[in-house]
Amino acid sequence: MEVIGYISQGFGVALTPLNLVWCFIGVFLGTVIGILPGIGPAATIAMLLPLTFRMDPTGAVIMLAGIYYGSKYGGSTTSILLNVPGESASVVTCFDGYQMAKRGRGGPALGIAAIASFIAGTVGVLGLMLVAPPLAKFALTFSSPEYFALMCLGLGMVVLLAGESMVKALLAMLVGLWLAGMGTDLFTATSRFTFGIAELLDGIDFVVVAIGVFALGEVLGNLEGREGTQMLPVPKGLRNLMPTWQDMKDCRFAFVNGSLVGFIIGVLPGAGSTIASFISYGIEKAVSKHPEKFGTGVPEGVAAPEGANNAETGGAMVPLLTLGIPGSGTTAILLAAFILWGLRPGPLMIQDNPTLFWGLVASMYIGNVMLLVLNLPLVPLFAQILRLPAYVLYPAIFGLSIVGVFSVSSSLFDVWMLAVFGLLGYGMRRLDYPAAPLILGFVLGDSMERALRQSLMMSQGDLSILVSRPLSATMLVLTALILIAPLFKWANSWRVRAIG
Amino acid sequence: MKSRSCMLFIGLALAAAAFPVHAQGFTPSKPIEFYTHTGPGGGGDVFARAISAAMDKERLAPVRMQVINKTGGGGATAMAFLANEKKGDTHTIAVYTGLWITNPLMRAEANVTLKDLTPLVGLVREPAMLVVKSDAPYKTLKDFIDAAKKNPGQLKQSAGSIGARDWVVRQLLMTNTGANWAYISFPGGGERIAALLGGHVNIMLVEPQEAGEHIRAGNMRVIAQVSDTRLAAFPNVPTIKESGFDIPTVPQVRGVVGPPGMPAEVVAYYEGLFARFVKTPSWKKYLDDNLFEDGFMRGPELARFFDQHTDVTRNILKEGGVKVVR
Repeated sequence: MEVIGYISQGFGVALTPLNLVWCFIGVFLGTVIGILPGIGPAATIAMLLPLTFRMDPTGAVIMLAGIYYGSKYGGSTTSILLNVPGESASVVTCFDGYQMAKRGRGGPALGIAAIASFIAGTVGVLGLMLVAPPLAKFALTFSSPEYFALMCLGLGMVVLLAGESMVKALLAMLVGLWLAGMGTDLFTATSRFTFGIAELLDGIDFVVVAIGVFALGEVLGNLEGREGTQMLPVPKGLRNLMPTWQDMKDCRFAFVNGSLVGFIIGVLPGAGSTIASFISYGIEKAVSKHPEKFGTGVPEGVAAPEGANNAETGGAMVPLLTLGIPGSGTTAILLAAFILWGLRPGPLMIQDNPTLFWGLVASMYIGNVMLLVLNLPLVPLFAQILRLPAYVLYPAIFGLSIVGVFSVSSSLFDVWMLAVFGLLGYGMRRLDYPAAPLILGFVLGDSMERALRQSLMMSQGDLSILVSRPLSATMLVLTALILIAPLFKWANSWRVRAIG
Repeated sequence: MKSRSCMLFIGLALAAAAFPVHAQGFTPSKPIEFYTHTGPGGGGDVFARAISAAMDKERLAPVRMQVINKTGGGGATAMAFLANEKKGDTHTIAVYTGLWITNPLMRAEANVTLKDLTPLVGLVREPAMLVVKSDAPYKTLKDFIDAAKKNPGQLKQSAGSIGARDWVVRQLLMTNTGANWAYISFPGGGERIAALLGGHVNIMLVEPQEAGEHIRAGNMRVIAQVSDTRLAAFPNVPTIKESGFDIPTVPQVRGVVGPPGMPAEVVAYYEGLFARFVKTPSWKKYLDDNLFEDGFMRGPELARFFDQHTDVTRNILKEGGVKVVR
């Protein structure tokens, strides 16, 4: 196959000492950026752009891509250890990751996250290498009706994330949907729920909500209890700080699930890594033999979303490199970088620049290996953070959260909103409302409403467009099944009780 | 006492030094803050970074220009920031686009208009291309308009938000011809192109550079140019006027403004800087690569352009049934 020939050429390019250095700088920076909450890969790449003008474009794209997928590795660190989502896609990792840390299994959680990221990242690059063009064509068949159906499927996951009280979960989801609607309507340019405040014209930033509800809510909730003692149990011994073989076995399916779901959703220009991690998490819970344990700290609950958000980076590169269409916010700035370097992104870019493309693909393999080697040994080190007493850790979390939120748009208003959501998170914790559905509603609400309205505009108000197209019909049927499934379980248990 | 009068003298000297020195020939002494209202990767952001890079390369300014993103409210946040917090600042400039004219007309919260800021230079006019998928039955704009008249409301255009340039062009065409087709907003250029290439919409407006690549690959066909004269890169594509539709050409404009209260010599400095800048080979190359038109305007000409364009846009918005607030 000619692919082998191309990729060997690519390795030839990627393994030159200079490109290896760029790759390492990229993945290292990416990891650091991922760990720091608030600032993300897009802003970092934007800041580094002026430096890249004097570089060879191949080396530059190797470094910038390294920042992109490297940040997904780092994002899980603060999610697991501190319940602070380092990156918007890492919010799902908080669910089980932080619970694992609370039970003294923070080290294994970090290790599983790194391994899942490595496997999924590699699968993502494999996909980019082998099936990019046909997959890009497939992505083009997706339009607003299909996106709407996909978001419905994602929201259907609420049922799976509900926990004991379905009503509370649905209420939280509705609040999330409402918050998502705040801002300016795209189609009519009217302001919705902006209360006349100019800063709300673009809606609320995801980072503010996620960090507020998760991190600050958690800290405020814990303040009522102990003081000054060691916050979380940290076992001694290296073996307890790394994932066990049993963990790895448990996560077999999660590795596959995360990789495939993440990659495919990444290819779709309108869907992001957060949706990919939610859906992957939902699927994992749906097929698990012990779904009730999700949310209490199971390794698969970390492996699936972490894998998904890494494979998504490989997927997002597909439309970028094969069509010149960015698949996510970070790929949009990569597109801008290509233009500024004088490359012409579009369908012919790979043809015109084979060394760049294959060098980039080869460097992504190398980068993933570098990241695994960087992250795994650091796991026992990071796990020691949990030994810090509460009076050190909580203010640190507060400070990190505030600085992280401020770094997003240099807006003090965002910091005040952070406080509001912190209080909301605290209230939800006290009244036992799950936070996951709120975040899910918030992430999906905007895109889902947009997709529905675009679909109706396309069909002149005819709702049947959603079911007349095969892809969207399939996903809507799946959603309906997910929603009905608990009824079967309930009917079954009622029958069992009636008989027995 | 001697030490006290010494202290007084030193104190006065320091105080005098602390007063800003209004030199006759202004030159920047610290990095210039170059604001843009889009996020990283957005149109204004890329534009600002390209200027900053080219200025650096040509060494026209003694300091570098640092691009800072101030997103929000369709430009309202950036404009308010300039007017309220950077009044009189001599080291702050910002990229304006057509949105800075349209947005204050439509949103009550966007209460800073271009009249409140200091116009410096207009830099480019961006033409656009009306494109269809290459297997569509429309070979000319007339074909499309005829089809739209036969099936009112059935054909679809993927585009940006209300008030954006694609909306204005559609408004003008629909009023001129009596045809009617749907306008579907997508938040990102990538999604709009994906909708066209996937066959979910029939037509869209793209930037010439984007169109160029997809045309080269055979995916798209250009049926008309939104431009006064044919671009050199597209010699065989008629302009809208040449296609038989007499509507004013709506350029997407970009340039540089400063905060209110800029001293006259500072304004003169920036105008002079950019006047030299647009003559440089880097800038000419940038215009060529991106197929932009040189729309250089300075000072009073730019201020007149803002007023004119605001009135024209206000009328178009009103005709299109959009609520205009000022």
